[in-house]
Amino acid sequence: MGSHEKKNTETVEELPDAWWYKIYAGVVLTTILVIAALYAFSRYFSL
Amino acid sequence: MKFLDWAIVVAYLVYVIWDGIRMTKHSGDVEGYFLANRSLPWWAVGLSVMATQLSAITLVGTTGQAYTDGMRFLQFYYGLPLAMVILCITVVPFFYRANVYTAYEYLERRFDAKTRSLTSFCFLISRGLGVGVIIAAPSVILSIVLGWSEIATIFLMGLSTTVYTMIGGVQAVTWTDVKQMAVIFLGLSVVLIVIIAQFPQQVSLTDGLYLAGSLGKLETVNTSFDLTEKYTIWSGLIAALFLFLAYFGCDQSQVQRFLTAKSVSEGRTSLLMSAFLKIPMQFMILLIGVLVFVFYQFATPPMIFNSVESAKVEQKAQYQILQGEYDAAHAIREASALAFVADKSDAARESYVAADKVFNETRKNATEFIKAETGNKSFNDVNYVFPTFVVQNMPMGVIGLIIAAIFAAAMSSISAELNSLATATTIDFYRRHFRTDADDKHYVRFGRAATFVWGIFACIVAIYATNLGSLIEVVNKFGSFFYGSLLGVFVLAIVVKRARPRGAFFGLLIGIASVWLASVYTNIEFLWFNVVGCLATVLAGYLISLTDRREPNAGTAEA
Repeated sequence: MGSHEKKNTETVEELPDAWWYKIYAGVVLTTILVIAALYAFSRYFSL
Repeated sequence: MKFLDWAIVVAYLVYVIWDGIRMTKHSGDVEGYFLANRSLPWWAVGLSVMATQLSAITLVGTTGQAYTDGMRFLQFYYGLPLAMVILCITVVPFFYRANVYTAYEYLERRFDAKTRSLTSFCFLISRGLGVGVIIAAPSVILSIVLGWSEIATIFLMGLSTTVYTMIGGVQAVTWTDVKQMAVIFLGLSVVLIVIIAQFPQQVSLTDGLYLAGSLGKLETVNTSFDLTEKYTIWSGLIAALFLFLAYFGCDQSQVQRFLTAKSVSEGRTSLLMSAFLKIPMQFMILLIGVLVFVFYQFATPPMIFNSVESAKVEQKAQYQILQGEYDAAHAIREASALAFVADKSDAARESYVAADKVFNETRKNATEFIKAETGNKSFNDVNYVFPTFVVQNMPMGVIGLIIAAIFAAAMSSISAELNSLATATTIDFYRRHFRTDADDKHYVRFGRAATFVWGIFACIVAIYATNLGSLIEVVNKFGSFFYGSLLGVFVLAIVVKRARPRGAFFGLLIGIASVWLASVYTNIEFLWFNVVGCLATVLAGYLISLTDRREPNAGTAEA
């Protein structure tokens, strides 16, 4: 297996973890808002 | 289907095959063929992730489900964004920095070759059979709706996908996925607009939604905590969360998508794209099903949407009586619907709800009659609703676009599955156990041969799956037995430092056995099997690991 391992020599700039955690919080918040909006949509058209 | 429709379908097929084949120039070595040299942008990977998950049976079945059962299926996807966040934090950087080709390759570094081979073997069996079902389900529907031979549809779909996947590798899979998603979005958007345009003049979109809402078809949040209820907010947020973690994080057909991204950041962004778009997209698909239902309030729907099954009994006197009752019930429901639209009073609403109940009873009677007459106890025509509606009611051109979209949904899933099956076969078995020192060209040739063999195998499975309903059930059950337990092995690998090879190997077997026991001795819904399998594997794996005093493989946990 070892002889086939790829050596990733290219340096790629990665975004910092702190930035990602803000994005994750945004995803969770958006999901909550979307579910709340869907619930409101259901209730509204159910009279 | 008119000439324009055929032209659109043929143009789609020719373009996709040509587009896939021209990717050959980027697929000369192992990394290019299986991982696209880790060079793909996040948006292409993200669309490929979504296209792989969206199979034709999801597209066709979900709209049919919305027609009969409303939008409650949407709750199944509520856990997906949370799963994507967890995967972005855990497996994406782990797998990417470990420089692996398959998810199971990582398990050898963390545990041993036995665990890698067992998990990869389970993947090959479940996905090898699963891709046959992915081909079979839309093939049966299209063959009935369009009047084509089943075998012709299977091979048209299966072989055309095999050809471009085999030649172009993962580059072909990803870039054709991008175009296929465009065809799917375009098709769905057009059909949405055309359905609304076909409502009677006095019925607006809002009126249609009130009609559907009054029958509970717009319910998107069910808060009851009942393990035997298939779709609740809890099964979506908890049980489906485990399923999505397993599917996107441990299934090679999805892991391979984000391994082709340029960087960890691009891999993460590709998954978060699904996190943002999946629920709205699924909402749109379900809304189309609901609007088809609204459309059929003012036009008589077929009593049975599967015309082949109904043709077997339609000459019988009893069936004709049922047809008469059905037509009468529809006329009453249509009048009640129009009255409710004109006057949204409680009395009009109650009258409409009662008329719908009677109408549903007559359709149920017809379904039971077909079950009794044909001996097909599992008869269900939900998957035929949308294609039948399209062929009977959409204008020229739109029919061809939707048929192309159904092909696109099927082919995007099939290509990713075939590519991942070939990758696991080549990397986890052939290169690991049989030919360890060949050059890149040799492995690419083997990968192409493996894609071809899996493609033929999938078509053969599809031919049998169309005749054996129980086989489809077995394949789906096998998948659900395996997913939670596979997730458990990866949890042991990444989270539990004390986990050892013996614990992982036997934990996986105990996890699969636990799910089997749960399926036999309880009536919990299948989504919860993923929770059972994962927890049983982690618990058993941890306890068994305590009996193994060997140190873990060096340099693995930091991968």
